[in-house]
Amino acid sequence: MSTRTNQTINQTAQFRILSPDQKQRIFEGMIETLRDTGVHLHHEEARALLKEHGALIDDITVRIPQNLVLDALATVPPVTIVQSWDGTRKTRIEKNQVLFGPGPTPPNYTDPDTLERRKYVKNDASVVARVCEALPNIGFVQSLGTISDVTVSLADVYEFAEMIQNTTKPILSWSYTRDTCSDIHQIAVAMAGSEEAFKRCPNYVFYGEPISPLLSDFHAMDKLMYNAKHGIPQVYTPCCIGGATVPATHAGQLVCAFSESMLGVVVAQLLNPGTCVIMGGVQSIMDMQYSVYAYGSPELSLMSAALTEMAQYAGLPMFSTAGCTDTKTLDVQGAIEAATSVHSAMLSGANFIHDVGYFESGMTGSVLQLVMADEQIGMSHVVAKGIDVNEETLALEEICQVGPGGNYSDRDHTRKHAGALWAPTLMDRQGYEDWANQGQTTMRDRVIAKARNIIANFEGPISKVPPEAKKKIEDILKAAEEREAKKAAAEKK
Amino acid sequence: MLEKTMLIKMNQQAYGTTMFQILTEDQIEQIYYAALDVLEVSGARVLHTEALQLLQQGDAIVTDNDRVRIPASLVKQALQSCPSKAALSGRNGKRSIKLQKNEVAFGSGPDATFVYDLKAGERRKCTFADVEAAAKIVDSLPRFDFCMSFGVVSDARSPKTHDRHQFMAMVKNCTKPLMVTSADAEGLKDQWEMACLIRGGEKEFRLNPLFATYIPSDTPLVYPKEMVDRLLFATQKGIPAVYSSCSGMGVTAPATIAGVLVQTLADSLVALVLSHLQKPGVPLILGGIQTVMDQNRKSFHFGSPELHLASAAIAEVYKWLKLLSSAPGGCSDSKIVDEQAASEAVMSVYNGLMAGTNLIHHAGSLEGGLTASLAGLVMCDEIIAMVKQIGKGIEVTDETLALDLLQEIGPGGEFLSHDHTFDHFRDWFQPTVIDRSNWETWTNAGSKTYQDRLVPEVDRLLEAHQPEPLDAKLIQEMKKIISLADKKEV
Repeated sequence: MSTRTNQTINQTAQFRILSPDQKQRIFEGMIETLRDTGVHLHHEEARALLKEHGALIDDITVRIPQNLVLDALATVPPVTIVQSWDGTRKTRIEKNQVLFGPGPTPPNYTDPDTLERRKYVKNDASVVARVCEALPNIGFVQSLGTISDVTVSLADVYEFAEMIQNTTKPILSWSYTRDTCSDIHQIAVAMAGSEEAFKRCPNYVFYGEPISPLLSDFHAMDKLMYNAKHGIPQVYTPCCIGGATVPATHAGQLVCAFSESMLGVVVAQLLNPGTCVIMGGVQSIMDMQYSVYAYGSPELSLMSAALTEMAQYAGLPMFSTAGCTDTKTLDVQGAIEAATSVHSAMLSGANFIHDVGYFESGMTGSVLQLVMADEQIGMSHVVAKGIDVNEETLALEEICQVGPGGNYSDRDHTRKHAGALWAPTLMDRQGYEDWANQGQTTMRDRVIAKARNIIANFEGPISKVPPEAKKKIEDILKAAEEREAKKAAAEKK
Repeated sequence: MLEKTMLIKMNQQAYGTTMFQILTEDQIEQIYYAALDVLEVSGARVLHTEALQLLQQGDAIVTDNDRVRIPASLVKQALQSCPSKAALSGRNGKRSIKLQKNEVAFGSGPDATFVYDLKAGERRKCTFADVEAAAKIVDSLPRFDFCMSFGVVSDARSPKTHDRHQFMAMVKNCTKPLMVTSADAEGLKDQWEMACLIRGGEKEFRLNPLFATYIPSDTPLVYPKEMVDRLLFATQKGIPAVYSSCSGMGVTAPATIAGVLVQTLADSLVALVLSHLQKPGVPLILGGIQTVMDQNRKSFHFGSPELHLASAAIAEVYKWLKLLSSAPGGCSDSKIVDEQAASEAVMSVYNGLMAGTNLIHHAGSLEGGLTASLAGLVMCDEIIAMVKQIGKGIEVTDETLALDLLQEIGPGGEFLSHDHTFDHFRDWFQPTVIDRSNWETWTNAGSKTYQDRLVPEVDRLLEAHQPEPLDAKLIQEMKKIISLADKKEV
């Protein structure tokens, strides 16, 4: 038998937007922007820290010398691991490791029963977490809403408390202030069992947001510093609106987005070298007809994939965007826009691909859109995996044995490999008559049925939550309520 | 304003488009050599006397009456003689489709039995009027580059001459190049004669083909007489032919993707050799449908991700062999235009474009190609536009990096009122049926779904679009050819 040598194989599909020279130029653009244009930083302690390390401070404007940026990039971790509170699930944050999940904080929610748009309530957080837990192609959890039926300033904490008990997939949490950021941290520690267990391996990721263009407000920076000090992996990413808050040209937008995240990376690495900071964000354009931030635009797909390449170039993990849409209801537009962005993001190799399940340009969350996108992610995955080419899969002997016009149905080779073919759960491949006899369902009908079925029947991990953790969470929430009541009283005075 | 000295950034290389690749050259080579092995070891069955003679004269080995084994040397000759460049023009003579490496054109699908009437909410048999309407829609849609028949004309005088009527319906209503299907070689001959009338002669057609002929095959490595007839006729007359090798994984082909690629390539190479032996140098575009199939209904699934992956990969193999490629895209297994049709269409259009497949056909086809839909065409036009926008990649220049602008506007500023934004926002994708209005605007307009908006858009196009008329005399001449055929068959 002869032997093959000098073989290169693609283990997955390869997809690129930017050439090495193009990446270098965008990188230089980021360095130049932080150094010459600078950023507005509304946080005195952070400014003092940066000044101490050589940044130029002019009132709230901070100009960061390039060595500070390069030093920060030298200490970012190549791999970070997040482990679920029950120890069953490990998530690696490293180059080209892809996960999809929903997004945080739309004010509205599509009720899966009535299909009406309504306010998001506390119970929705646990439902979304359970649905995410049940869907095989969803890898992390965000809430798809802002809880409206609890103390307003504690919506973030209640959301986290609900979600973490209903999923073992990593949550990307958010918070209003350093106080609630700390509450969430305490809940996570309670779920981990101990401070030591949490420190060894965190069980959630924090999500914070600078503002475009080139601005970090006090709370965003304050939370970033808290998480950096405690070694909690965190996302620090803007929502850049092309043509409104950043230039209309994509290269300029990438420079801006990159620079905004890099401020967070620099501060975090100064505070705690080696702590995980994830760059990225929502990158799209302003729809000039309706003045809406377009969540379904192909520009979102393109820029998100390109920014992912910049993150990989810099050695940072990437928080990307896909599966979202500008439609107001589950329809063909949502399917087109989600499929397009899902496949782009998958091929790009981004780490946390969020906003799966967003309707209405981020104004409404929908588990229906999430369930539909789960199927699209499954399809995209088949293509992204590429093709296994070896003696067995080439099937040369098999083809010769079967011969021209032969049948492969009853062959061992077929039996062995047919199981690896993708099995749809929402795509209907029946003939017209069978389909018609079964009620002529659209994919929308099947999505709704699947979502309702999960919500009604899938319990999730809640029964595994230790009673002592439950008790601790109640105490944390109680203490938080007292603190917020005091704050409110003080403000009234 | 800063003074600018002459500055040049040297040794720069940019990606002018996105870059996408499934297989490495080493992997492609393995598939190619395995296909050559198949042709030498097990070969093909050619059920056509003249073709068998050609093959025998060309140094192929014929045994058991119709079993042909083809040596690698003969394949190599055929590969060398096949041009890696061709072009198609519409009836106005403009070369609108370049067939060459990494040039992609999109078109509708052929020969559906049914059309789905979105307004009536039901499926019915396709008629001449449907084919005309589809050709008109294809003519009007900016992202459609070529036109296929859409559906089988069921109201033709004879079931065997529907192909001539389809040709008439298409060429009357669409100025874009056509990709035609024929019932048999006689049908192809009549279509070709009609095209020669339009072009003004055989030579003129040769120089500037109006259509490519689409020859599907669903029994890999078996060449029925009627199919070979069409292939040989096309080759003789210099009609660009699309040989579309269709196989169902685990039924008519191995269940592994690499295996189905090997068999498809072997099958296509036989067609290439036949074409070469008949007349070297006539363009042959290789394609096909590699997917999972329903064994009982003998139907191919048009929305499977295996199809999307295999189509992209086989295009890479053909590119490497310097051959032209075709594949389905924009098609679905759904019975109607719904979220499934949209998802499956996006995936095949996306991967087809990124892979650089030359002719992507079947856009808007439903139910595995059995049903056609005007609404599907209009939906696909928008999908293609979106995917093309991604395929453009990102331009990185001083103007687009806009560092000076960023400095001028500074942190916390806005770009909406700046000239730079005004100069560039038109480069973005502009939606047609997609709606980005806010909740209030949308509910005030009646809370319409995409499908709700699609129906009037189809009507609007049919109403508003007037294709450049075809000379009445020409139509009369063409009608003579058709009625001769009808008389012969009836």
